[in-house]
Amino acid sequence: MNFEEILGHHLLDHRYFSLFSVGGFTLAVSKHSVTLWAVSAILVLVLSLAARARSGGGLMLRTGVEVMALFVRDKIVAPVFGHDADAFLPYFLTLFFFILGCNLWGMLPGAAAVTGNIWVTAALAACTFLLINLAGVRKHGIFSHLANFVPGGLPKVLVPLIFVIEILGLCAKCVALCIRLFANIFSGHIVSLAFLCMIFVFAQFGKGLALFGVAPFAVGLALFVGALDLLVALIQAYIFTLLTAVFVGMAVHTH
Amino acid sequence: MDKLLAPDPGLMFWTLVTFGILVLLLKRFAWGPLLSAISERERRLKADVDAARAARDEAQRIKDELSAQFAAIESRRQEVLARAARDGEEVLGQFKIEAEKQSRDLRDKTLAELGREKERLVRELRREVADLSVQAAEKLLRRSVDPAVEKQILDEFLKDLERRGSG
Repeated sequence: MNFEEILGHHLLDHRYFSLFSVGGFTLAVSKHSVTLWAVSAILVLVLSLAARARSGGGLMLRTGVEVMALFVRDKIVAPVFGHDADAFLPYFLTLFFFILGCNLWGMLPGAAAVTGNIWVTAALAACTFLLINLAGVRKHGIFSHLANFVPGGLPKVLVPLIFVIEILGLCAKCVALCIRLFANIFSGHIVSLAFLCMIFVFAQFGKGLALFGVAPFAVGLALFVGALDLLVALIQAYIFTLLTAVFVGMAVHTH
Repeated sequence: MDKLLAPDPGLMFWTLVTFGILVLLLKRFAWGPLLSAISERERRLKADVDAARAARDEAQRIKDELSAQFAAIESRRQEVLARAARDGEEVLGQFKIEAEKQSRDLRDKTLAELGREKERLVRELRREVADLSVQAAEKLLRRSVDPAVEKQILDEFLKDLERRGSG
């Protein structure tokens, strides 16, 4: 048994076929890209139905969606943006439900955890970086937005240096967003797989030992980690959305 | 596991495109209807709460007004009762004075009438006595009586008459 192969099979992306390749850029249909589309399609379907539901099970679904949407609005977006909240709300609701959907999808047996892929989280962090700057430019204009990176009252000699540092700081915030989500989801899956692989490791010393000695503990621990992953899925969706809102809010409301 | 951090700009592209389209689709088909329904419900709830608050304020105002009216009525009732008691005592005093005056007048009138009646009786008695005297004199004149006896009778009569008159 090769643990590295198991991890690679479950956690890494696998290309089905390439659409085209130019230089180092290859656009391919892969396990993770298909997962992204599947999660997106399910979200569009489920949330659209929930938004239009008037009775029965649809109403229960709608109530659940509303609870989460109101949580995002009242606890994340409204405190940061105030009267501007309505303009940003669709983006942050989509971000929260997309990350939550991907995290939960990744917990299904055999499904790919796309938020455990650093390039997916990097793309989401890039969206945050873009939104921070677009919102800042839209609110203050491009020159005021760039000027807002530098705190007031600095000696002019330091302004270029501080400007570069602040730009790097902004990039670091986005990179931290990317790594935080990736690391949490990826590590959760590694730990679950590691516990389950213990059964097969000990099976090499004796099937009885693995089946009756190790398997109950390993499955129990994997279930425990799975429950933790469920919590982590919710918390990471919340944290990514909250931090994005805070960063964008800092660009919009500079004081 | 070398592929874990290997650059994959193609997946980044798909993520950006997918997420961008998802934002637009959900904004159009999910968040738009959902948020407008939530806003409408919150507006309705706010209107209901405002209406309930206004109704409560109106009820409070009516209650205060009624309390003030009750207080005024109670005050007026106390005033009327006090005035009635005062008037009653005044009327009672007047009745008492009137009754005393009437009883005094009645007594005076009765005494006056008694005096007049007494005088009338005295007069009648005197007249009766005079008549009797005249009759006695006539009898004396018709009978030849001893002058001493006659004189004695007359004296006794007159004495008796005077005694009666003084009594």
